[in-house]
Amino acid sequence: MNFDSVVERVTRLARTRAGFRLLRFVRARSVVAATNPRRLKSAPLALLVALFPALVYAQGRPARDLSGLWHYESSGASEPVAPDNLIPPMTPWAKARFDAEKPGYGPRRAPGGNDPMLQCDPTGFPRIMFMNTPFEFVQLPGRIIQFFEHEHEYRTIWMDGRKLPADADPAWYGYAIGHWEGDDTLVVDSDGFRDSTWLGSTGYPHSEDMRITERYRRADHDTILYDITITDPKAYTAPIVGPHRIMKLRPHDEMVEEICVHSEEKAFADRVADPATPARAK
Amino acid sequence: MTPWAKTRFDAQKPGYGVRGAPGGNDPILQCDPIGFPRVMLMPTPMEFEQAPGRVLQFWEREHEWRPIWTDGRALPEDADPTWYGYATGKWEDDYTLVVQSSGFNDKTWLGPTGYPHSDQMRVIERYHRADYDTIEYDMTVNDPTAYTKPLVAPHRILKLKPGEEISEQPCVWSQEQEFAQRIRNPATPKPSK
Repeated sequence: MNFDSVVERVTRLARTRAGFRLLRFVRARSVVAATNPRRLKSAPLALLVALFPALVYAQGRPARDLSGLWHYESSGASEPVAPDNLIPPMTPWAKARFDAEKPGYGPRRAPGGNDPMLQCDPTGFPRIMFMNTPFEFVQLPGRIIQFFEHEHEYRTIWMDGRKLPADADPAWYGYAIGHWEGDDTLVVDSDGFRDSTWLGSTGYPHSEDMRITERYRRADHDTILYDITITDPKAYTAPIVGPHRIMKLRPHDEMVEEICVHSEEKAFADRVADPATPARAK
Repeated sequence: MTPWAKTRFDAQKPGYGVRGAPGGNDPILQCDPIGFPRVMLMPTPMEFEQAPGRVLQFWEREHEWRPIWTDGRALPEDADPTWYGYATGKWEDDYTLVVQSSGFNDKTWLGPTGYPHSDQMRVIERYHRADYDTIEYDMTVNDPTAYTKPLVAPHRILKLKPGEEISEQPCVWSQEQEFAQRIRNPATPKPSK
């Protein structure tokens, strides 16, 4: 039996709930042993005893389960566009919208900003995925609920095999269905979006024909690799491929209630944001 | 009401009903959160989903939700005041969920008439499943800062609607604003002296 096959067996064990608990226990004990060298004569051996279960623990993750609170490894991206990946050319329909959209922040900001978020209209999907706030997956029979701390929002990802409806009422968070690809990857397809939200704070628009495919791949116990592709031929001449992003599990955190409150946002805009916004240079 | 609550009540101008007045300052008419327990009084559906350690309660109204923690924790002593509070639940028997909640901010109204509450409010609810598709619902509000006695809400009956799903109904300020300017404000009479 070589090292690889041991790792493989233990990894398989780690994917069962009981096996994962067992490994977590072994890891905790071996850390105690390794930090007390009198109990293990050789320091390298102690280190190995401590590291091996830790490695396997990191590899192990429950199959088809993303439950928990997740946070981006780095700060939010603010736009679903990778730095090395310019937004595809806009259609005339989208260009007209883009020119009318006045962000409240950033290089395009202007007085009388009309970013819907700044008056607490819903952020909507997929923009909410690019906020620097955590989200949580809760898995239930036939569906996964995705809670967003931002705006205290949530959406339902239907897992019961249904199709996307042909005539869904346009909604801020759309209509989403998901399926598992292998044991580690949740693929989510969504459409049925209203066209009143922006893709990000710069003001890139989208139409009601927008369709989104996302992949949440659990690469190890604490890590999701996230990819998003936005297809909206009415607004863009090619699909928008979002930046590859990394999310980390935060096992002890709980979400707090962060509602966007219009009266508070208004008071902030009147006191701080509006006076600080320079008139746009011609 | 205590004098504290009476002062608040007099300053609160509903947008509808017998106390309806121009310049109404009901928080929900500018899409500030309706909050708990007022959201329980809306004629829109709610949904329970049970997950390990918690019961999730979703309201169609405002597309809101709260977790009811059923993992045995106690209500925190120093919860940050929030619109929907902090809730814990326990099964009193196989058919009765008792929910205790506190940690509310004092910005929400108890209902459209404008009855206030303080951030000391504590709410106890009983959801008793009387038969397959029936919940008998009772709620008591304790708030000594605002009321000299507990408020006992009317006994209510909730019916299961299998096959239905909650739709997305957020309160959208820009839409509410347009409605107020076009319809509600012109239609609100000045109160008679």
